[in-house]
Amino acid sequence: MNNTVVISTPPHVKSRRTTRGIMGDVCIALLPSAIAGIVFFGYMAFVIELIAVLACVATEFVYYFIAKGGFAKKCKNAKSVCISWWKQFDLTSVVTGLILALILPVTAKWYEVIIGSIFAIALVKMFFGGTGKNLVNPATAARVFMFVSFSSLTSYVAANFGPVLEGETLTGATNLADFLLNGNHQSALSTLDLFLGTGVNGSIGETCKLAIIIGYVYLCVRQVIKWWQPLLFIGVFGLSAVLLSGFYFTPYRFDISLFLPHILSGGVLFAAVFMFTDYVTSPKGVYGQLVYYIGGAILLALLRYFTKLEVASFAILIMNLIVPLIDKYCIRKPFGYVKVKKVKKQKEGK
Amino acid sequence: MKAVRGKYFFGGVHPHDKKAISSACPLEYMPDPEVAVISTAQSLGKPAQPVVEVGQEVKRGELIARADGFISSDVFSSICGTVEEIRELTGAGGAPEKFIFIKNNGKTDTAFLPPLSSPSAGDIKARIKDAGIVGLGGAGFPTAVKVSPKTPVDTLVLNGAECEPYLTCDHRLMLEKTDEIVRGARYLATALGVANIIIGIEANKPDCIAAFEPYEDIKVVILKKKYPMGGEKQLVYVTTGRKIGLPPKLPADSGVVVENVATAFAVCEAVELGKPLFERVLTVSGGAVTSPKNIWVKVGTKLEDIVNYCGGESMPPKKVIQGGPMTGMALANYDVYTHKTTSGLLLMTPAEAAAEEPTPCLNCGKCADVCPMHLMPMNTAFYANAGDFEAAAKYGNTMSCIECGACEYTCPAKRPLIQAIRKTKAEMRKLMAGGQKK
Repeated sequence: MNNTVVISTPPHVKSRRTTRGIMGDVCIALLPSAIAGIVFFGYMAFVIELIAVLACVATEFVYYFIAKGGFAKKCKNAKSVCISWWKQFDLTSVVTGLILALILPVTAKWYEVIIGSIFAIALVKMFFGGTGKNLVNPATAARVFMFVSFSSLTSYVAANFGPVLEGETLTGATNLADFLLNGNHQSALSTLDLFLGTGVNGSIGETCKLAIIIGYVYLCVRQVIKWWQPLLFIGVFGLSAVLLSGFYFTPYRFDISLFLPHILSGGVLFAAVFMFTDYVTSPKGVYGQLVYYIGGAILLALLRYFTKLEVASFAILIMNLIVPLIDKYCIRKPFGYVKVKKVKKQKEGK
Repeated sequence: MKAVRGKYFFGGVHPHDKKAISSACPLEYMPDPEVAVISTAQSLGKPAQPVVEVGQEVKRGELIARADGFISSDVFSSICGTVEEIRELTGAGGAPEKFIFIKNNGKTDTAFLPPLSSPSAGDIKARIKDAGIVGLGGAGFPTAVKVSPKTPVDTLVLNGAECEPYLTCDHRLMLEKTDEIVRGARYLATALGVANIIIGIEANKPDCIAAFEPYEDIKVVILKKKYPMGGEKQLVYVTTGRKIGLPPKLPADSGVVVENVATAFAVCEAVELGKPLFERVLTVSGGAVTSPKNIWVKVGTKLEDIVNYCGGESMPPKKVIQGGPMTGMALANYDVYTHKTTSGLLLMTPAEAAAEEPTPCLNCGKCADVCPMHLMPMNTAFYANAGDFEAAAKYGNTMSCIECGACEYTCPAKRPLIQAIRKTKAEMRKLMAGGQKK
């Protein structure tokens, strides 16, 4: 025996799965949606996707370069810094960039995309400590930031997902708006159109539900996400949305045929598969996850009903922020735990 | 009895078992070592006290160190020879142990106990104690303590799961010594006064399952291939449907006693031949060993001799492990002597052994998903890294951990979770001891 043996605590065999591998799987799962977006919205969709990914990776690299350890010192041995950056590069920024691009409308300007990417990576992720430390989903936070900041996005989203603005020239299907405003389910679009994304306006990656479902199946097969998580979310969301939209009718009517249009409109499916299931910002442990997905679904249905807007991102942000609380209170009991019966304290003698 | 399927338990991982390397190698005897270096700390609890002097001649099977206290076991000479010296050395675990050096004189005299015929429960209990039998699964809990439970028991569960990858010593023993194991199990059942004998065997050993099916008084349970199926709590739940409470609860509190198949074999030999426990089956495996083997090894054999007996290294190993790859100990050199509980010696190639640098925790929660004890290892690691061990124990439920290693196996970020858990446990024990003193 030579002296090159490694000593460590057990286990001495480990699974081949790495962070980079998981993030690579997520990228692959996002590809069908990205391609569908290019097919439906033309080359501009591709440009936005490219800009977002590059901007995210570049932001992470620049942050890695200037933060911690002295800028001048790192400039001197830039090559080794680059190598160590590449070693720790785990594709999380690529995933963030891709998701951000896919939840933006195609009308977004290039500089808006870059600002959004910098916001996502620098402010939301790196300032909190990088991979695994961010409180909220970077892509979601960036989208909300862009949505309230840039008019090109606001008007588009308002036109397609919210109340149609007066005098707005944007045409296209306003299925979700129709739906949310007056519960009109006999809209111009059929359920099949909604499913395939043909003739539907919306965000680049959110329109083609078929592509999202392909991504979902891939993630489940690769065991990146648990299969029941998106299903639970969508099921609970659809039911609560149907229950709530019953109030559009007088008298109250429960119409289950609204289920499919509800879940196929807007970004619910994309959010359920790719954004709610984000590892970093979702609870650990099964009970916490149940609370998270059911709570998120009901919250989204309520927000949609009352705001008449597409607010999946806001629901995700709110749920992300209460995850630490869920984690604290939803602790599993160990295997074999027997509940200790509380002995009632007898009242002290008078 | 006809084999039945066991219950399902949540959690667990599916490492590649790599048992094919050595599962076809029949048991063979390794020649006696030139010098047997026998530790007096062969079981859980206090080490035994030497009863021989330097220069004294001992026979094979002669008592050389007597149990000191309730949880302790007798130690026997594994060869014929002269006691050369008795001194303290650093054991494989890093703690000092007292070793007895016995120089081989080439004789084959034995000093066995008298064989018992149709023994009573009391006889068997006394014999188990006198033969120094300990749990051969790995923990080394004295069997004599196990067979005198404080609460009434009704079931004996034999552990034939061998869920650790690579190890095949129990597999070969179950195949070649089926009848002895069954007889040993009957003796154990007599000692305990129980009628139910259950043996749990993982589904990847169909030959063993078939070997035990003909015995009418033994219930064979097929276990799904999953790690840690052979963990005491998991095994009891899967085979009997009973849950063992958290520590300090023992299986006996649920009416069950768990014994390894190798222990049952040792009991059989102790009762029928009067042979004390001084040798065991050891699996030598891994990609870096020339000829993998399952061998009978005397207690106190130097690992270097074992490697040489198996043809030496075929390539420089990345890791040398005593025990199984999931819970075993990584060694720095071969200057280590076998114990009663040493079940394997693995020489792992760089491709087999994991030695990646940890990356930041992703919070993916996969460690919690695979934890067979339903704990939260990421919380333990998080608070332990910050130095807050009380919070680590509270939010991770660390004190219930069985250290099976499933969490660290599955971690995509390769975090050293077991290290954090052990550190937390040690710190919490210190804290508790400090609290009692005050």
